[in-house]
This record gives sequence, structure tokens and C-alpha cells, in this order.
Amino acid sequence: MTDPLPVPVPILRLPRGPDISGGRGFSRDSRRNSQHFPELQAARAALRERFLRLLSSARGRPARFWLWSGIAVDAEFGAADAEPVAFQVDSLRTPLGVQGAALLRCGDVLAFSIPLE
Amino acid sequence: MNDWQKKSPLDWETYVNKLVKVIAVEKLQYEGWVLTVDPVSASIVLATFPENEKASISFIMGHAVQEVEILQEGDSHMKQRLARIFAPEESQAYSSEELDKRKNALKTWLETNHIPVAEQGELGTTLCVAGVLTIDPPYGPEQCSSSNEIILSRVQGLLQGYLEKQH
Repeated sequence: MTDPLPVPVPILRLPRGPDISGGRGFSRDSRRNSQHFPELQAARAALRERFLRLLSSARGRPARFWLWSGIAVDAEFGAADAEPVAFQVDSLRTPLGVQGAALLRCGDVLAFSIPLE
Repeated sequence: MNDWQKKSPLDWETYVNKLVKVIAVEKLQYEGWVLTVDPVSASIVLATFPENEKASISFIMGHAVQEVEILQEGDSHMKQRLARIFAPEESQAYSSEELDKRKNALKTWLETNHIPVAEQGELGTTLCVAGVLTIDPPYGPEQCSSSNEIILSRVQGLLQGYLEKQH
């Protein structure tokens, strides 16, 4: 007679607190753990707010993107996602023609600039 | 991650309103006044005011930054010039009496709707809702801030409805 099949045991994973063993819990001095440092959180918030305001002011403006290997392309700036991971642009002028709408990966972009009216 | 991306927001804040030279990968160089550094991506935003050309804003991605050197501190004139970039185009100016009236009207309205509200800040110009959300002058949905996005969107919706009913 064969043994009965072992009953699967549910595994409950909880975030572990900080400890000396280098556990993967939330570290107290982690850069992202800024709740304990109000001045750090205030600086983060102020810088981020300014950044988001500048990004939103870039919407609809002509932009020039500098990519790797010295390539520069012109497009109309559309939007960026939160990280940002990608930029959405309109009428991207590539060497092969104009692309109506496109996403540029942030990893491919080194810098971009927009005119300030 | 490069050294620049590892910096703390407090370090980045020290660069704001200063003239810097940024050396990026592939020998790219940028010079301009620091408007901000995005704490998420470490991207630097510079404003440049060339003499014969139009002023422009440059965003240099955090992953491409190699070195940042401070060239000059910003004086009060330059700080004002940079602050103007952030001012909304069609911003409405409110007198302090008007702001006070708006604040008191909103406070009364929130209280009649049984929403706990208190004044905070040195001059009591900021309204604090239930201890988790603040509303700054001129007390519109855009001026709400909270780390709890559910509460934020609820209160912003309430405020929107309140302002629409007034007009």
C-alpha cells in the first residue's frame, strides 16, 4: 500500500522587521524609509513636486531628445509615466520619416530639452 | 546605480537654484541653473538663459549623469527668475482677506458636514482634515495633499462639488 499524498501546507509570507541577520524586512536606514525623517520627506516632496510641474509644463512643446551614440531626434513632448520608464511623444522625426506617435524608453534617452516660451 | 543616483534628497536639494556644470555620459556637457532634481529618477532639470537665444529647460536623466559641479550660487534676482518658471500662466491673485474668507467658508462647510478640520501652520493658513490631509491656500482640489490617496481623492471630490455649488 502506498503512502497517502502529503497535504500541501499553505505558506504565509509576512514582511519581517529589521534584524541583525540581514533579513529582507524593511530597513530602518533605507533611503526609501523616510517616514522617520520628516525633513528628508519634505525635501523629497518639494523636489518631486517641482519635477512634476516642470514635466507637465513640457506637454505639447517641441523637444529635442539626445540618445546614445550622439543621436538627437526632435518630437513634440506628450507625457511621461511616474518612474519615468518611457516618454510619450508625438510627430517624432526619425531618419526614416515622421512617426505620428511614439514611446521613447528612458534608458535610451540621455537628456532632452524644451524651449521656455 | 551611479554615485549621483545614490545621493539623498537632502544632498540634491543643496544644488537647487545654483549654476552647475553637468557632465553626462558620452562627453555630453550641460550648464545651467538647477530647477530641481527628481528624487525618483535622480534626473536633473536645468534652466538656461543664453544671451542671443531663447531660454530653455533641459532634463538630464539620472542614469546618464556622471559629475555635477557647482559654478555659482544664485542671488535673489535669479531665484525669483527661476521661481517664475513654476508659476502657473493664468494664476489668480488673492488678497489675504479673500483667502481668509475662502478658508473660513470651507472650514464651516466641512464642519457642518461633520468632517474634522483644524487650522495648522504658523499663521493657521493651512487646513488639516482628520489629521491626514492638508489643504493650502487658495483651498481648491489642487491644493490638497495627503499620503493616503483614497482619502485624497475623496476629499478632492468633495471640494470640487463644494466649489461647483458655490458658482
